[in-house]
Amino acid sequence: MNAKTELLSPRQTVGERPMPVLLRLLTILALVGFCFTLFLGLFVAGRDIQQGEIQRIFYIHMPSFFGAFTAFGLTVVGGILYLWRKSEQWDRIALAGVEVGLAFALINLVTGAIWARPIWNTWWTWDPRLTSAAIMALTYAAYLMLRAGIEDEARKRSFMAVYGIFAFTSVLVTLFIIRVVPETIHPVIVGASPQNAQGSFEATSGVVTALIPSLLLWLTVMPITLIWHRARIERRLEAINRLKMRILSE
Amino acid sequence: MRSILTLLSLAAILIFASVVLAQNDPDTVPYIRLSSFNAPLLEGWENQSGDDFAQFHYAQAHATIRSALLEIAEPVAAAAADLRRSFGIEVGAPIYQGKVNLADGTWTVLIYEPDGLASASVMARRAGSQTAVISFVESDPEARILMLTIAQSRDGRDDAGTEIDLAVSLLASNKAADLAEAAALSLPSGEWTGVVGDSFLAMGMVFGNDSYLAIGEGAAENLAKLADAYNRTVLGFFVTPDNSGYLALALTAVFAILALLILSFSWRSRNIQKDLQLIESLNQAGS
Repeated sequence: MNAKTELLSPRQTVGERPMPVLLRLLTILALVGFCFTLFLGLFVAGRDIQQGEIQRIFYIHMPSFFGAFTAFGLTVVGGILYLWRKSEQWDRIALAGVEVGLAFALINLVTGAIWARPIWNTWWTWDPRLTSAAIMALTYAAYLMLRAGIEDEARKRSFMAVYGIFAFTSVLVTLFIIRVVPETIHPVIVGASPQNAQGSFEATSGVVTALIPSLLLWLTVMPITLIWHRARIERRLEAINRLKMRILSE
Repeated sequence: MRSILTLLSLAAILIFASVVLAQNDPDTVPYIRLSSFNAPLLEGWENQSGDDFAQFHYAQAHATIRSALLEIAEPVAAAAADLRRSFGIEVGAPIYQGKVNLADGTWTVLIYEPDGLASASVMARRAGSQTAVISFVESDPEARILMLTIAQSRDGRDDAGTEIDLAVSLLASNKAADLAEAAALSLPSGEWTGVVGDSFLAMGMVFGNDSYLAIGEGAAENLAKLADAYNRTVLGFFVTPDNSGYLALALTAVFAILALLILSFSWRSRNIQKDLQLIESLNQAGS
């Protein structure tokens, strides 16, 4: 603690700053966008004549995976920049990316399982895409558990940066596995479906109308907004922990 | 601020473009969509559909194709009830009754000839507590047209020749007719085999493990059009499942996971505030 910070109040030390205007705008955009895309998916897109109402969950199921992709991608960026610059702010972004990405990955898994029950007549099957998605979620859950188990701060940040970079392979495997392994029943929306894909449907204009805005929202605004909020909390949490340690040591 | 405005403008343009595209681009499959089921629209046929049934009439051939869901659990009873209510036809025992397994379930295939002037070819299957009924009814005094769907026999995988022979032996008036001429027919529903006999025309198409057949006697020059329309109706008919409960469950899960994430943010922020207040109060007490 230098002389300058000793003069600051605890609140100033922790860095109680007002929410940036851009973050406020992003938060509003995320909330409005979430409601709007939900409206498009539930009321503007037509009902799938074969799958019924449950098909509408596709407008969240697929975008949530891409939201996880963005979040886990930011973990990679944060990890690389932390290892390069050794700046804690990149480690915070990496951690926030994992938490937000894991929530999105869970949304993707749970909505997929609920969709599968009426369409495939089962909640779960060990299909390559489903299995890799589950492994991806478990890989990032392990990130959080490992992080909580390492006490040395510098060692923890470096180790988790490397882990976060390598964990991204599970995301890429999940993304591309249905292109590589033809033994899948998971529908392929972009490009040709394998012969045995089940529950697929044609992307008609109604689907596109609901899907594109939802995809844009979940791919960009939602993960970035949530990661930004989470990283700000982490910065304050670290600062207050340091303050507590200083008080305890005095 | 400028970047946000640019982002918002781009999003607005994309949404507008998507909505315009949705309005200008018709659905890839022309369907009549009712609350509980869907049936293909038959071009060139008079659409007589109502709120809970799809019905198309082709006046030139005195033919009607009707699809409906009835609150009757038993397929044969449902078929008879639909013919009675919709066409005023009282049917007795069918001249043909069989079962066929299609992708959406087991259908009962029935053919009735109640008065010699009209014939009704019906397919019916259970759909939950209801029964889906697809009827082809013709009342052309100059023709006799029957539609039949039967499972493929073992030696007739590539074409419907074996099943055409079987259908003719079962249903044609002149069973000893000579099946001399066969020809391939390409229709919107697929590739058909047509057979011209002494006193009848017969057509058949293989789809999946089943053969779709049509037999016409007398002035049956519209047989191909009728067979194609009935086949498209049978293969295109979908009962839309009522799974809105699963959608509600999935949306609840989405809200719950997002709420947990946001609540965890809020909980951690509140803890930081509490710690700050405690440290501030300790500072004040110390000073």
